[in-house]
This record gives sequence, structure tokens and C-alpha cells, in this order.
Amino acid sequence: MTSEEIVETVTQTLGDKVERGEVALGDAVLFIAPEHLPEVAAHLKNDPALAFDYLSHISGVDYLDEDREPRFEAVYEFHSMDHNHSVRLRVGLAEENPTVPSLTGLWGAAVYPERELYDMFGFTITGLDNDKRLIMPEGWEGFPLRKDYPLTTEDIAFSHNRDYKSELVKSKPPTR
Amino acid sequence: MTVTEQGLLERDKDTMTLNMGPSHPSTHGVFRIILEMDGELVKTAEPEIGYLHTGIEKTSENKRYQHVIPMTDRLDYLSPPSNNLAFCLTTEKLLQIRVPERAEYLRVIMCELARLGSHLVWLATHALDIGAMTVFLYCWREREMILDLNEEVAGVRMMTSYIRIGGTMRDASAAWLRKVRQFVDYLPSKIDEYERLLTKNPIWLDRTQGVGAMTREEAINWSLSGPALRASGVDFDFRKQRPYSGYEEFRFEVPTGKNGDVYDRYLVRVEEMRQSREIISQALDAIPAGPYKIEDNKVSLPPRSTLHSSMEALIHHFKLVSEGIHVPRGETYVPIEGPRGEVGFYIVSDGGNAPLRVKLRAPSFMAIPGMCKMMEGCYIADVVAVIGSIDIVMGEVDR
Repeated sequence: MTSEEIVETVTQTLGDKVERGEVALGDAVLFIAPEHLPEVAAHLKNDPALAFDYLSHISGVDYLDEDREPRFEAVYEFHSMDHNHSVRLRVGLAEENPTVPSLTGLWGAAVYPERELYDMFGFTITGLDNDKRLIMPEGWEGFPLRKDYPLTTEDIAFSHNRDYKSELVKSKPPTR
Repeated sequence: MTVTEQGLLERDKDTMTLNMGPSHPSTHGVFRIILEMDGELVKTAEPEIGYLHTGIEKTSENKRYQHVIPMTDRLDYLSPPSNNLAFCLTTEKLLQIRVPERAEYLRVIMCELARLGSHLVWLATHALDIGAMTVFLYCWREREMILDLNEEVAGVRMMTSYIRIGGTMRDASAAWLRKVRQFVDYLPSKIDEYERLLTKNPIWLDRTQGVGAMTREEAINWSLSGPALRASGVDFDFRKQRPYSGYEEFRFEVPTGKNGDVYDRYLVRVEEMRQSREIISQALDAIPAGPYKIEDNKVSLPPRSTLHSSMEALIHHFKLVSEGIHVPRGETYVPIEGPRGEVGFYIVSDGGNAPLRVKLRAPSFMAIPGMCKMMEGCYIADVVAVIGSIDIVMGEVDR
């Protein structure tokens, strides 16, 4: 199916479960509310005409400086191995308590990127049995890929001096 | 363990926890697995990553588009051109530009050389892990030649940054293309040599056949990609399915396996090396003359010689160097076929000269949970065979 057909079919079948669909630079993009994500994802996977059986990646985006609502977004990209087409789901997440349901029941491989969403963006993933830090060390404070997490601040991880309170190393903002 | 009244040690459970890594020669980087062992058999394998985290995605958000390219080299450091290409294609899609034909051919040659180099390192280390030392030395010999070719065309042996937004870094000379031709003519006999050492070797067969097998459904469910996915019988290669950078013009086969075990992954990758060689050979035959980068001076620098005679060129040069490329607002994702599978960047642009978000879709990162599933039920000695067969690179796992 072409991207236009995918957007049209899905928006027609699922009705108001999909906020809106568009074709951006040739890619099929669907905007979904987090509560409808499992249902829409299951449909995308199980409908034989769509058959999005392959999870390509999950990504978080923080639109802090963009002045838009909601602030966060979780982006899912799926391929179909049989039909050779792709779709992107963009799930807007509110600034306070961003929560998104887990898709590990549908795609086993979702476990790592979902844990990364928690690790890097602080999204709560409901239904994920392992919500430890993935890349950052256990006990790390803050979520590095949020826009308000400074680029050059560093916490001193270990010090022989127990009373030493690590000072944040603040440097000038990065030049572009 | 608890200590009994008699002062003896008593086990709490029937299994033993065995720590492997993060510094272990066959984890190909700093990767840790916590194995729950029942005798020699692995019951569960719990991966732990993050030891090589360098924050490349965060850093990329604070760099101009051109400045991100050298960082993409360090993601999958065994095939930098694939990462460069994925990043540049995505940016070019946002810019809505298409590079000249000669640049596409040069990109294909570089990417396929990188695939050869990467597969040579994979074969070398994978065979070494299983105990075949000779293959290691042989593969390194041929990889050295690829690094020499890289050095001649890009000035750097490994982190080439040769592929740039709008084309390539510089043109390749006829002498260099002749050397590439010599290399691809020389390579097939060497691939035969590796195969003579391994393909029918009974020890190799014992160690690889039936080990870490995954069915087609499992491989798709665990998002394996590239050779590991094709070894499980999925005929999916982005070079064929969604040709980019002119791949539709080349005739090549996409090898697939049946059993999805370590041996099939080995066969698929070795065949891929032959096919890569075939693609380079065809590209050398058909490479057109012409510009090696786009002539739009808002994207690529004007020729040096025009700077003293053209005011416009001088302004463009100054703007590009001091401000960089302004990419229109939007977001997109372009997957390509790297040596390990689907590589792609999801880039969100806010209209400025630095990306708002750069996300790498790393094949090794996505494959790790599936890889640990494969280990369950294997012998401990097979764990290194499974890791080697997936060919993980920790640079792109931890980013």
C-alpha cells in the first residue's frame, strides 16, 4: 500500500481512535492519543492488509522550546515484511506524568526501546515488568534527553571524600 | 550461599549465577550478561548495557548538521560510511535535494567497501571466539587493504566522514578507482580461502549448526535485522525492497538462510561479501563523470577557486561555515541496509541549523533482547558463538 492508502484505510477503519493522519515527505504518519495506542497498534499488526509485523524503532521527542502542547512525543515506526510498507505513530504525551502503554505484548523487541524511553525521557511505561535504568547507571538523577537537562553538567559519580558535595560543572551554553 | 552450623557452605538455589563481561574478549566491546546456569546449560541471560554510553544523541542536538557527521562515524565504528549515508539521506530528504549521480556511485562504493570491511572483522572475531585463529589473521590482512583505500580517498583509515550532506567530501581519483578494482579482483579467491577453512570444517559445523536458532516469526518479533533476519528466511533487504542512492541499478542477490542458526548467519554473511564485491565491480564499470556534490551553494561549499573572483561565492562560503545549513521544519526517517541491518536516523528539525532531535535506529541495540532469548537452553560455550553471530557493535548500542 502507498502511504496515502495506509493513512486513509486506518483513519476510516479506526475512526476517532486516530486523531488525524497525514503523509509527511512521503511517510504515512498517524497521530494517536496514548490511551488508544494498544488498540491501534494491535489493529496495525493483525489486519492482514496492513500486517505491520516488524517494529523498527521507538523514539522520544521533547518539544520544550517549541511552545506546543503536549510537550513530549513518543514515536513508533513499523514496517511490514510482507507488504514492504511502513507507518509512523506519533503519540503526544502531557508534560506532567507522561505515560504510555507498553507494546511488548505485540512486539517482543519493544522492551529495550521502551526502557530507553524511561531512561532518557522519564516516560512511565505501563505494563513493562522491567523499569530499571537501561543505559544510565542505577540511581542516576534526571533524564538526559529532556531539553531542560543541561548538556555540559556533570555529577561526580565517585569521590573518596564522603562529605564532598559534587558541584555542578556549569559551562557556557553550547554554540551552534 | 549460606553457611550451615557445621561451617559448610550451602546453596540457596539449584542454579548458579555467572557474570560475563563487561570486559570479556568475546563480547566485542563492553557488554555484560548475567547468566543463570543450570550446570552447563544457560537458563536465563540478562543483558546489561550502557558501559559505552557517550551521549551522542544529546550532543547531536547541540551541533550543526554538518558537525553531526563525524559523530555518526563513532556509532557503528566498523562501518562509518553506512552511518554517514543514513544521516545524510535523512537530512537530504528534509532538504528535498538529490545528489549528483557520481556522488551516489561513490557512496555505494564506500558503503559496500565498509560492508566488506565490517564482515571481515565479524568473520575474524567470530571465528576467533569459536577457536579458529587462522581465519582471524587472514581476514585482518584483507581488511587492512580496505583501510588503506579509505585512507587514500578520505585521508582517514577508519572514521572516514567521507559522505557529506549534498554529496561526498571530495572526488575520487581514477587511480583510486583502479586500486578498488584491483582489490575487488583480488578478493574472491580470499573469500574461497576462508570458506575452505570453515564451511565444511566438522568442528565449525559442530559449534554452529543448530545453535541459537530462531524461526522466521521469532526473528521478526525480536526485530532482528540484516543478515540475522535473512538467515531466518525473511527475504528483506532495504537495498532491494526500497532502493536508495541508486541501488536499483545494480544486479545482486539477497542470500537467505533456512534454519536461522549461527551457521546460516555465517553462510548469509559470507555470501553477502561476494554480492558486495559484485556491486562494487558494477559500480566501477558504470561510474559516470560529473560533479561529486550538489551545486546548490546553500548546502555545499562553492569551489575554492571561485572565492577570489565571485562575491556571491564568498558570501555563501561565509554563511555555510559560520551558520551551517538551515533545514526546513519537519521530521523524517530513512532506513538503509547497513552491515548489521536496518540503520536509520529519525531527525526532527525545527527549521534551524541544528537538529531538534536525532535518534539512531541501531540494529545491534534492537537485537540484544532477541539475542539473549537465543542463548536460553544453549551451552555456556555457545554463548560466545551466539554473540558473534549477531555481530553487535557496542558503539551503536550505547550511543
